[in-house]
Formats: sequence, structure tokens, C-alpha cells
Amino acid sequence: MKSVCFIFNKPPYGQGSGKELLDICLMCSAFEMPITVIFQGDGVLQLIENQQPDILNIKNYSKTFKALKLYGVETVLIDAAGLEKHQLVTENILNIGEIANSKIIQNVIQKTDFSIML
Amino acid sequence: MATFSLLITANPYSNQGQYSALEFTKAVLEAGHIIKRIFFYADGVLVANRLNCPPADELNLTKSWAKLAIEKDIELTVCVTAALKRGIVNQAEAERNALTSESIDPAFELSGLGQLTEAMLASDRLVTFG
Amino acid sequence: MKTLFILNNPTNLSACLEAIAKEDALLLIEDAVIIARKNIEYKHISLFALKEDLIARGINNTDASWELINYGKFVELTLAFDKSVTWL
Repeated sequence: MKSVCFIFNKPPYGQGSGKELLDICLMCSAFEMPITVIFQGDGVLQLIENQQPDILNIKNYSKTFKALKLYGVETVLIDAAGLEKHQLVTENILNIGEIANSKIIQNVIQKTDFSIML
Repeated sequence: MATFSLLITANPYSNQGQYSALEFTKAVLEAGHIIKRIFFYADGVLVANRLNCPPADELNLTKSWAKLAIEKDIELTVCVTAALKRGIVNQAEAERNALTSESIDPAFELSGLGQLTEAMLASDRLVTFG
Repeated sequence: MKTLFILNNPTNLSACLEAIAKEDALLLIEDAVIIARKNIEYKHISLFALKEDLIARGINNTDASWELINYGKFVELTLAFDKSVTWL
């Protein structure tokens, strides 16, 4: 089975791309493709705890990130440089993956058959 | 000979991505390769609106895709969820949602996101244009 | 597996380069072709820019480190590499 990597690199809610990328990810999981999810750069903002987008009448899809393991997503990587840029520490974000440097992220992107960002 | 699928999210008249994708598709076919499916997602679905009326001296992207699809027998698949939100509906969806008419160009087809995954699994390459 | 990175927005260059590994390549299209005026000297990756998009924008002073290509070569590149990532 071909593998796929999803790279989230934008903050949530200002644009729809986070939710749209997540929807493709869940569909690929339904097809049982091996999946890696990377939160890169500003994408780490998708993982901030205590998001309340319902105040904007937007669904809180960050809850689904917590369930990625249940959807069979094997690897979740969180960009260390992205966290540093936004002065975030592990206590501020959803504990759903491993903190990774750019070298590790490069290796993961190289290893998968498809990489998608939106 | 290789099999390609495209994922297009570019807004047709705000970004260049739809035009780039169109030229890329033509080059794929000219090189003798196969296009498995072109999947329109996010704002990319807006190109499927048959009511788009760009000025006569601008390229009509809807008609350009439709012409290519008919001539070369290419599947133009539009994500139904993204499309409905943006007013791109076929007859069945128009009736289901109590709308006065359909709006999708007949060269395009509404379908689910599963069609994208299925296309990936059946293709050697997926190229995104956003 | 070698990856072809496709970049269409010049403001995303530094983030995109962070993800590029040795033996990968970078292809500039659309607004990103402006980057081809400079030598970015990065990890010795191969550098390409789409000629049509340069001509359209009146950019004719590209650095020699960039190979200028047409859509036919763009298609060939996507096959010469194991996959493409469009860095949006």
C-alpha cells in the first residue's frame, strides 16, 4: 500500500485549509494507507490547547487531531522550530506526537509515496 | 508511460493555479502519459460553475477544462462537500437542497473525497496545484 | 526517495527549504519565479524555474544556477523524481 504524508503548515481558522487537509487525511485512513502527519512552521498553532472556535461558529476540528492514532495514523511529528518560533512548549499543545527537528521531518517526507499540503 | 492525477485547490479567478494545472495536463497528454483523474477541492471547485462568465477577452477556465475533458476523455471530479458549500450543484443536489437550478458544467462530476484517494492509489504521481 | 518541491509563492521559500533534503530539487512556478534572479546556494539541490512564468513577468535576468524549463520538462521532472510536493 502506498504511503502518504500530510503537512499542516498554516494556522487554524483564518483559512479552511487545516480542516480540508484533515478531511483528506481521514479519507486516506479509511483506505488504510500508511499515514504520517507533520505540523510544520505555523502549522503547530493547529495544536494549541483550549481552542474554542465555536465562538466563531466554526467546528473545533482540533479534537480530531487527538484521535489521529485511532484513525491508524502511525506517526505524528511536531516541528521543533515551529514551536520555538511561537514560543510554545509541550505543555501548551495537544500531546499527540513527537517533537522533531527539520532533519527528521525531511527524512519522513522523503520516505513517503505522496506528500500533500493545502 | 505513467499515470498522473491532479489535485487542484486554486481559486480559478484569484490565483494562477488553475491555468498552470491546465497547461500541465496538456503537457502530460502530449508526452503520451495518462491522466487518471483531476480532482477539484476547496476553492478549486469554483471552476466547475457553468454560470461563470469571464469577460470575452479572458480565458474561460470552465470551458477550457470542459473542452480538454471531452476531447481527451478525462475525468473531472469535483468534491461534493466543497462544491455544495459554494453553490456548485447538479440536478439531484439542487432538488435535495430545494434550489431552483443546477449549476455544474456537464463536463464535471460531483463525487466524494474517496475519489481522490482512489486516484492516488491508481496513479504513479499526484501533482497539486493551489 | 527523491522529491521535487514545487513552489508558487515566494514568501514560502524559507519554510520550503527547511523541508528539502540533499538530492531533492526545487521548481519555481507562478509568483515564485522571482526567486530565480538570485543564487540561493542551498545544499547543492537542483534548481528549476518555469520559463513561461518568467517571461510573463518580464524577468529575464535569472541567475545561471537556475535551469529554465517548459511544461514538457516540468512533466519529465515529476517523473524523474519519486514524487512531488507542492509547497503551499
